[in-house]
Amino acid sequence: MVMSASPTDEHRPSTGRYLDQSKIQAALDHAQDLGASYAEVRLMAITDSSVALRDAKLERAIPGQEVGVTLRILADGAWGVHSTTDLVSLPSQIESTVRLAKAVAARRSSKDRPVQLAEVPILQDEIHWKPKQDVRNTDLQTKIDHLNTLHNSAADDDRIISVTCGWSDEHLHTELMTSEGMNRVWSFQRSLINASVTGRDGGEVVSYRTRHGGEGGLEVIEACDLGALGDSARIATLRLLKAERAPSGKLPLIADRDLTGVYIHEALGHPCEADLVAAGDSCLAGKLGQTIGNDIVSVVDDPTIRGGYGAHPIDDEGLDTREKNLIKNGVLTEYLNHRESAHHFGITPNAGARAQDGLHHPLVRMSNTLIKGGTHNDVDELMEDIQYGVFACGSRGGQVDTGRGSFQFAAQEAWLIENGEITRPLKDVSVSGLTLQILKDVDGLTRDARLAAPGFCGKGQTVPVGDGGPIMRISQALVG
Amino acid sequence: MLPDDALDRITEGCRTIGKICQSQGIQQWEIVATQSYGHSIDIEAGKIALAAGGGEGGYGIRVVEDGRFGYAYLVDLGSADYAIKQARDIAKVSPSVKGFVLPSEQTAKEVGGLFDKNILSIGPEDLLEQADAILSEVASLDQRAVVTGGGLGVGASATAILSSEGIESSGVTTSHGMGIQVSIDADDELTSSYEGDSSSQRLPNVPDCIAVAVDWAQKTRGPIEVNTEAHDTPVLMTSEGFSPLFSMVVPTAVRGDRLARDESFWSGKQGEIVLADDLSLIDDGRMEGGRSSSSRDGEGVPTRRQTLIENGRLVGSMWSTRDAAQQVAEGRIDHAETNGCAVRGSHQSPPGTGCSDLQMISSMKSSSQDALLERMEDGYIVHSVMGAHTANPTSGDFSVTSSTLLRVEGGQVLGPVKQAGLSGNLAKALSRDVYLGDDVRIQGSYSSGNMHLPDVLLMQGLRINPA
Repeated sequence: MVMSASPTDEHRPSTGRYLDQSKIQAALDHAQDLGASYAEVRLMAITDSSVALRDAKLERAIPGQEVGVTLRILADGAWGVHSTTDLVSLPSQIESTVRLAKAVAARRSSKDRPVQLAEVPILQDEIHWKPKQDVRNTDLQTKIDHLNTLHNSAADDDRIISVTCGWSDEHLHTELMTSEGMNRVWSFQRSLINASVTGRDGGEVVSYRTRHGGEGGLEVIEACDLGALGDSARIATLRLLKAERAPSGKLPLIADRDLTGVYIHEALGHPCEADLVAAGDSCLAGKLGQTIGNDIVSVVDDPTIRGGYGAHPIDDEGLDTREKNLIKNGVLTEYLNHRESAHHFGITPNAGARAQDGLHHPLVRMSNTLIKGGTHNDVDELMEDIQYGVFACGSRGGQVDTGRGSFQFAAQEAWLIENGEITRPLKDVSVSGLTLQILKDVDGLTRDARLAAPGFCGKGQTVPVGDGGPIMRISQALVG
Repeated sequence: MLPDDALDRITEGCRTIGKICQSQGIQQWEIVATQSYGHSIDIEAGKIALAAGGGEGGYGIRVVEDGRFGYAYLVDLGSADYAIKQARDIAKVSPSVKGFVLPSEQTAKEVGGLFDKNILSIGPEDLLEQADAILSEVASLDQRAVVTGGGLGVGASATAILSSEGIESSGVTTSHGMGIQVSIDADDELTSSYEGDSSSQRLPNVPDCIAVAVDWAQKTRGPIEVNTEAHDTPVLMTSEGFSPLFSMVVPTAVRGDRLARDESFWSGKQGEIVLADDLSLIDDGRMEGGRSSSSRDGEGVPTRRQTLIENGRLVGSMWSTRDAAQQVAEGRIDHAETNGCAVRGSHQSPPGTGCSDLQMISSMKSSSQDALLERMEDGYIVHSVMGAHTANPTSGDFSVTSSTLLRVEGGQVLGPVKQAGLSGNLAKALSRDVYLGDDVRIQGSYSSGNMHLPDVLLMQGLRINPA
């Protein structure tokens, strides 16, 4: 019932592979004998740990090892999928999964297009993104020490009533074998530290969250000035205690790097996912090659940005990752796609397939998404001709209705802009709009684009992402 | 779907790990195990996109020594020694919480309706037929309507818990659920609605939520112009629209540890009126057929039905064993003990504190939607919101967006509004002038448990900002 591989002191199976290649190859061959046009086995082994400190006391530390494997079979133009933690049972699932795919196919009408996959290079190799400091070798006390550094600066005020600090790291090892002969192994690590700060002043209670992390090992955490990160979280929390409710209405908006990233992720990134476009659930359907934004707007999704939280060397269909140019100077130039959607639209596969773990099948997902820099020097220059507007900073998250093209994102804090200058702090600022309108309303970008705080994206499955860009001005946004 | 011996095997696995813990002289230990199997169907673009099946599971180990706890999880019994060592190593560096011990065995009565053998016999072909029936129903209700996304699935989970304190319990639960997005894309206008349903019992082949999805995709077409600035207004939130905000904010606010630590907007208000004085909040861990109910909580303590807010007055709070001991040990509260509110995400995490099947009820007579509209006179009906997860559970403040809302004037629906912002403070909005509808529906949650809520008319405290 459960898998038989065990972690070793070296953190990897002694063979270097979890999958028994000869048995898996025989299983894939068997699938083809049964009528599958394509079959794949993708295994993901994750060695992870999470640590939480609450008010400087260890709340929980959880080390874990998990292995999941997904068998995906395409037969008669339809998919059948089987996922399990029981590696040994996988070959016995071939027949039932082929039957499943054929049963789906049998229910499709003649007008439905059968699923086909775009052709891709068939590779057999291993790619391991080695961290500078393997996070698996980081002991618990070191993690606690870093968390305490963050805590001590975040908690340094009587009005801060609680600070919860968290750590998570993971080493991801993936093996992919397909009936086409693909046989690839890749691995990399991610590390993250965060704090949630709660402040109280009389009856007023507020909270603020901060995060730092990225692809890589312990070096990712050690590159961050955790004292400064905690200081900024504390200062922001105290500021929120004095902040006023935001004005409501259509106002000029300036967004910091965090919010710019969430904005472009929600407003553009999701509607650009070709599986949603193919499903008739995107406002960008049929708009490739069309101008959809101001010509100062160029957007890329790039999993090859090392250190970005959404970085990964190979996508979950075995393609080398690459930069995708979603918008160039306001023109929609590329959808994010996987092999199925690439074939559907007759476009080049661009390695946009990601799965949450070994128990999920790949969907079209973003990685590191950012708006490229513009021509303004700094935020002051962006603000100088705004009579009355809002400067919003930090993200509490966002959401999009890709079909309607409407989106919402929320800021952690904000300021009122009056006569070109920041005046009063605001709280509870959210921004909403329509993708096809607001991309045209971006009318100012600073030069310095880079990834902001790491995030997580949900689409039935959750994957880590990096978002960012420059500081951005929108001439008119619905602020609530 | 679930192997006949699944329960026996995970129970035996717990015993094997327990024996190792015993042989190592660990003071207290607790082993949990889960093994789940299921089938699912994904629907995209009006057709079945794929069919999937599979299973997963594993074990979680909690050790407690001198008030210090450590945790680790595993999938393979062969690595139990390694996981136990990890858990013990962590316990050694954890702070000692005075008075924290694992719960003792207490008799727990079974909760009915959590298992339906009919679900076990549902195979992939049955699910495919159900998917076809849903697609046909949508098309028959409106030829323009298409199921653009979603899916359906069935599952069965075997769970077991075994502890050094004599707790030994196991059981099997079943589930059947679906969620579909229906879109109507015609005449240069796209409207859509997402609806779902789930149960531990077998659902009808075409549940009511399918017609509701089509209905909302239809009635939000042809938006009217609303030429008003942002303004405070009554809002009738349907159960579906209200539940995401409610579940993000309210369950967290009645957690005992959050209340004790001043992290809840209701901290320091025990015994005081915090909701409209006809409203009560009840967490029922023993609801028959409750999606989050069970005979024991996440650490084996018998569950109960408990009133947290009674006629507007905060009278209770939710506790798990360690949270209770910790808040007492740290002097934040004189007395607290578990009341069966330990929840776990899976075997991969130790228990935390949360609700199970949470109900908000009123001592006043509930009203039909028409009666609620008559009371509201002018305002909006909001059926779904975007960004509920961005609500602030510490303050209760929220600012979200809706594209599924209707303008109401003189108690009559005037028409749909394309998009609007909705903001306010949920604690304040619930503090007076709240009226409940008569049709309680079960919704999921952003925190833990399930929400049992009717339509809710909030007469004050909300602001609408039409786009």
